[in-house]
Amino acid sequence: MPKNNENRIIVDHVYKSFNIYMDKANSLKEKLLFWNRNKKEKREVLKDISLTIKNGEAVALIGVNGSGKSTLLKLMTKIIYPNKGKITTNGKLTSLLELGAGFHPDFSGRENIYFNASIFGLTKKQIDERLNDIIEFSELGTFIDNPVRTYSSGMYMRLAFAVAINVDADILLVDEVLAVGDQHFQEKCVKKMKELKAQGKTMVFVTHSMSTVKEFCTRAIWLSNGVIKMDDEPDKVIEQYLKETV
Amino acid sequence: MEVFKNLYNYRELLKTSITKDVGGKYKHSFLGVLWSFINPLLQIAVYALVFQVILKSNIENYAVYLCCGLIPWQYFSNVVIRGAAVMIDNGNIIKKVYFPREILPISLVTSEGVNFLIATIIILGFVIFGGIGLSWNILWYFVIVAIQYLICVGIAFIVSSLTVYFRDLFHLLGVFMQLLFYGTPIVYAMDSVPANLQWILRLNPMSYLIDAYRAIFYNKTIPSFSGLAIALIMGIVLCLVGYLIFKKLEKGFAEEL
Repeated sequence: MPKNNENRIIVDHVYKSFNIYMDKANSLKEKLLFWNRNKKEKREVLKDISLTIKNGEAVALIGVNGSGKSTLLKLMTKIIYPNKGKITTNGKLTSLLELGAGFHPDFSGRENIYFNASIFGLTKKQIDERLNDIIEFSELGTFIDNPVRTYSSGMYMRLAFAVAINVDADILLVDEVLAVGDQHFQEKCVKKMKELKAQGKTMVFVTHSMSTVKEFCTRAIWLSNGVIKMDDEPDKVIEQYLKETV
Repeated sequence: MEVFKNLYNYRELLKTSITKDVGGKYKHSFLGVLWSFINPLLQIAVYALVFQVILKSNIENYAVYLCCGLIPWQYFSNVVIRGAAVMIDNGNIIKKVYFPREILPISLVTSEGVNFLIATIIILGFVIFGGIGLSWNILWYFVIVAIQYLICVGIAFIVSSLTVYFRDLFHLLGVFMQLLFYGTPIVYAMDSVPANLQWILRLNPMSYLIDAYRAIFYNKTIPSFSGLAIALIMGIVLCLVGYLIFKKLEKGFAEEL
């Protein structure tokens, strides 16, 4: 069992920049013929970010569009890597970054549960044990055996969320995806996440819903133009954030 | 080694993607299974026609001779061609979810390997009905396949990661593999190549393996140990170099795809 004050995520002086190609030459032919086409621009998305997230914290990343919240979350999941600095995570990690990531459209919902959960590193036996919980939580009922390409975006989200919270991860990273569900399901998700919080799981969200942050999070981090502007209790950060941006 | 730990932890994903790949080929129709036999048989027929009837090759039992080289070659060639596309095809998942990326090339090489095991029935059919028969030496088959698997994994690491950055490689490889087909003793024998050119063929690990397959199936002898040893060393080197290249390049996959 993890100790109470154990560090779950350590972000140490992290820089991230992307090359923005104006018109990318993808092949050798294009590179030779249109050598001047390959203009690129370096865009610094995160500048010298350092933060530590401890076990059991529920952290909200807030900030306007383009402030680097999602990039930071992607760095934490190891989908992309920093140009400078280091990110260490400690414990099993699950992420829910985009709707239907890791779903195969032609497979049924049930098959996708297996596929999706195996991407998160579960074995067949572990998935078998959780299958009923996942289906029940998703409220998909008989639709579970239909191919997921026939699903609405709400159904997609319900299935993806049901899988993500049932893999028993120590760290859950969630990008703004909850907004798709209806009121009832959103409340259910918040309730489930409170349960997970009570169990001592660590969570990081990107969200624009200030009420969720206030209700649920223990800490809020405000990113602005790739730097941390404020890192404090949710109420204080939100007050300042709303004052400056609205 | 981190790679083995990853493969073990993500064994369910590895298993799912292998069965999806193998099963997918045969899933929808019964003809699907047949096609994977008809295809190589037609190829053998074409090459046999060209080289035996038109060019009058003096190799005995030419169709059997050809078959022992062609089927293993197809395994190798499929790995190279499909390996080059495996990251691009799975770009959607790579960009959104973390999982050990090496799962993709390894499951490709494994599922193609399973297909090769199935296709070996064709070789057995040819040697049995072609009047050559079987000997205990075919037990060496498993050793040779294991070496070929190593070589394929190494090459799949290299081509799958490089094509993400250089998309041209995909098209270049198509032509290159055609060239390499004639640069490997498949339709002809190593001995018929002028002595001063044979060294070129010996740079190619597939030359040793095809020699070995031919030894156990066609000549019913023990394969050349020195040949197998060279191929094994090449396989180990390819795996190590390939893995290093892959690990270096994989960090940029999500951004480049």
